[in-house]
Amino acid sequence: MASEHEYYVQKKGIAKFLDYLCLTPLGAIGFLILIIVPLFPPFNQDYLLRWFILAAIMGAGSMAFDFSAGYIAVVNFGFAAFVGLGAYTSAITAVRWGIPLPVAMLCGALASALLGLFTGAISLRMRGMFAICLTWFIGIALMGLAIKMVWLTRGMLGLQVPYFFPSDVSNLYYWYPVLGLSLMTWFILKRIARSHMGLAFKAIGQNMDAAKTSGINPTRYRIINFTVSCALAGWVGAFYAHFIGILTPDFLHTAKTVEFLVIAYIGGRGTLWGGFAVAFPFIWFTEMLRSNFDYLPGINLLIYGLILIVIMIFYAGGMAQFFQYLVDKYKDNPTVRWLTT
Amino acid sequence: MLLEIKSLDSGYGFLQVLWDISLSVDEGEFVALIGPNGAGKSTTLKTISGLLPPQGGEILFAGDSIGGMEGHLVCRKGVAFISEELNLFVNMTVKENLEMGAFTVEDSAKQKENLEFVYELFPRLYERENQYAGTLSGGERKMMAIGRGIMSSPRLMLVDEPSLGLAPMLTNEVFKSLRTLNKRGTTILLVEQNVGKTLKTSSRAYILEKGKIVLDGKSADLANDDHVRKIYLGH
Amino acid sequence: MASAAIEPTIDESAIDKVEQTIENTFVQKVVRWVFSAAGITICLTILIAIVASIHKGPYILVNTIITGGMWALMAIGLSLLFSVMNIAGFAHGEYFMAGSLTAYFVMQPIGKYTLDHPESFITYVGPLIAILAGTFMCAILGVITERLVFKQLRIRNREGWLLNCFLITIGLSVIMQNGHQLIFGADFKGILAYWDFPSVPILGVYISMDRVCAFFIAALTMVGFYMFMMFSTAGKTIRAVSQDEEGARMVGISVDAVHIMTFALSCGLAGLAGASLLFMFPSYPTVGVMPLYNSWFIIILVGFGNVAGSIPGGFMIALFQVLTRSYFGEGWEAVIPVLLISLILIFKPSGIFATKVRTVWDQ
Repeated sequence: MASEHEYYVQKKGIAKFLDYLCLTPLGAIGFLILIIVPLFPPFNQDYLLRWFILAAIMGAGSMAFDFSAGYIAVVNFGFAAFVGLGAYTSAITAVRWGIPLPVAMLCGALASALLGLFTGAISLRMRGMFAICLTWFIGIALMGLAIKMVWLTRGMLGLQVPYFFPSDVSNLYYWYPVLGLSLMTWFILKRIARSHMGLAFKAIGQNMDAAKTSGINPTRYRIINFTVSCALAGWVGAFYAHFIGILTPDFLHTAKTVEFLVIAYIGGRGTLWGGFAVAFPFIWFTEMLRSNFDYLPGINLLIYGLILIVIMIFYAGGMAQFFQYLVDKYKDNPTVRWLTT
Repeated sequence: MLLEIKSLDSGYGFLQVLWDISLSVDEGEFVALIGPNGAGKSTTLKTISGLLPPQGGEILFAGDSIGGMEGHLVCRKGVAFISEELNLFVNMTVKENLEMGAFTVEDSAKQKENLEFVYELFPRLYERENQYAGTLSGGERKMMAIGRGIMSSPRLMLVDEPSLGLAPMLTNEVFKSLRTLNKRGTTILLVEQNVGKTLKTSSRAYILEKGKIVLDGKSADLANDDHVRKIYLGH
Repeated sequence: MASAAIEPTIDESAIDKVEQTIENTFVQKVVRWVFSAAGITICLTILIAIVASIHKGPYILVNTIITGGMWALMAIGLSLLFSVMNIAGFAHGEYFMAGSLTAYFVMQPIGKYTLDHPESFITYVGPLIAILAGTFMCAILGVITERLVFKQLRIRNREGWLLNCFLITIGLSVIMQNGHQLIFGADFKGILAYWDFPSVPILGVYISMDRVCAFFIAALTMVGFYMFMMFSTAGKTIRAVSQDEEGARMVGISVDAVHIMTFALSCGLAGLAGASLLFMFPSYPTVGVMPLYNSWFIIILVGFGNVAGSIPGGFMIALFQVLTRSYFGEGWEAVIPVLLISLILIFKPSGIFATKVRTVWDQ
């Protein structure tokens, strides 16, 4: 959100701290609202809180997705499978070896990162289309494996996953960890994006040939970016597994990837925060459609498809572009300036 | 007047390159447009041929306005454009390329006549008739592009930098073929950096600098002009 | 000056001589082809097909040939779309689905009629009508999507075209799959057979009439497509646009018209494949996913933008899948191919039939 020019202005006190977290005051306010909102009715009902948690998980996932789609213009079309690989790894390591859940989550992230490294290493030398196809193939293959390796994943029956907290606690116990997870994801991604490496990512995404001629090794940076994105995907997936309690191979389906993709692109490519912000209304909309129009199966996906096409044609920057437009319109207003820098 | 441009503005998006250009080419003339790099010569030709929409002004071809018309319709009116990049169909044979050049010509006798003329003008193309255009040498590609332009029996031919990247011998050959073409009745508007040769070949010339026309007149007069001699001819 | 003029001629004649010594006889050409990547893979494929057919039974060969032809048709359509318009068609499976759905609905009344009148000529022609209906329906659908979606994007935003188009095709795919589910339901809509005749004995194996016809439809379409692209004016304009869009505009080709034609052709081919294979793959919302997967697999295998290479590629993929299914069992056919594709990407990323002349794709 911070424009590059003003980033170098010396900041003090709380502003400096927020800047270290890569949050603008407006972002911090939004985050505070998210922290306190579940304490008040009507949002303190358990099922509403469940939506909030799912939305935060989707939002964090879409941030990880956007990190490679928005910065280096490589779409990970098997993203849900990388999320799912993290989830399954975390669940299986926790069940088999009984290791503590946070460590199991890191195992999940590691597994996804390794697969991402492998995928990236063989496909990112070429144009983006190869990566799209290969990740798609890998996604389908992982789903096939999850179905077929019944001895490990219990296949379509679903794998029982240990919960973080005893099953009778309120969802509020999950809400704060998931917010922390999202903030961590944001922090990691944004710190990388602001670093020297992030500059290289941006250059590669804008024009790979130009980046090459200015001495950037595109393959190396693309692989790094892709691996980070996959690792975070696995991490988010692992959290999801221990929240939801049961894993089925459906979670690795391409349709799930499309959900992440739609959220990230409606939010605005290359902004990271856009996807997270959009995830909340998006999940609400999905659940509303699912509960009110249950006689029309798949209507939500149909609407996502339409939204995706309309956004791609008419407003490629998504919601973030609209936000930027508003900010630019009122940039003379000091409050707006303070809030958004 | 075959081609008349009145106060044309053109460019790429926010970047305006041409400012208030006016020029005219009469039937049967050989007119040159010269100027330094980045003056907007190629932009002028692209705008006339409809590959770039004009931002203001008028382009009249044989009395009809063609400004803002789509490229393929401009071509149908009788304007052939030989671009700097040549835009050949690299995976087609020389002959197929030439045939594609005659896409707008429906009369097959006329097509055949044009093909014969091209082969007569450039015997090398005849030798390489069945070779892929992508495998031709630089000079042959130039010939190929000019030949493809001839195939549509244009009334006006826009030629962009034919000497670019060619050895002096080949440049002479290309210029000679352009003159032959002009004698046969095709009007030519040539964009060139090789000012000396261009002024010897053409009948009239315009000098374009920083997107504006600064000088125009008979080529022979321009060759003696102080400004031109100092900047372009170097003596 | 004089030496500069002479030198090139000496060089060229020398090169000519070298070339002549390299490719002088037909036999040597054949040997060289066999030891090229393309030759090795094709020969190996044929060998494996024969060995597997002897080992597991001839149905392997039959299935390979029938489905391979159809996957090749779809891959041709995809390649065409990519090389002409630079669109990565991830909605192509849905045209396959639409083709099979149309054929199903057209086949219903025809099937009823032929049940009452088994001697009527409709018994022979009816299925063809259904297949053609599927083809044309998809061609029309393709044109509609081109006008409504890709044309609009083209007018508005040419930046990041490839990625935007990819996302749009994903949107289209989602819409079409779920539209099918909403309107026609998720159940299987299939037929038992198009041509309900006794099976034909070929080399001692009984092959159903439908399979024989499917093979001939695929073969005829490929030949027809080749003729169209090579010799008709319309085909030449398509090739011209795929090689140089600006050049095509310069010679007076209406690029817009070519885009419509390309979409119609490409989607029509997918619809044809879907309609012809209705007897093997009943129509349901996600029936197109597997064919789409296969055709993308073919495209990576043979190299992007290689239209002709899709044909052997189609048979290879079909064989590969038939083999995995019969040696590893159902469900593994999505897993094993990834290993193959990884190997290809590691060792020959430009595809096994990489062309020598650079195309629009590589630029």
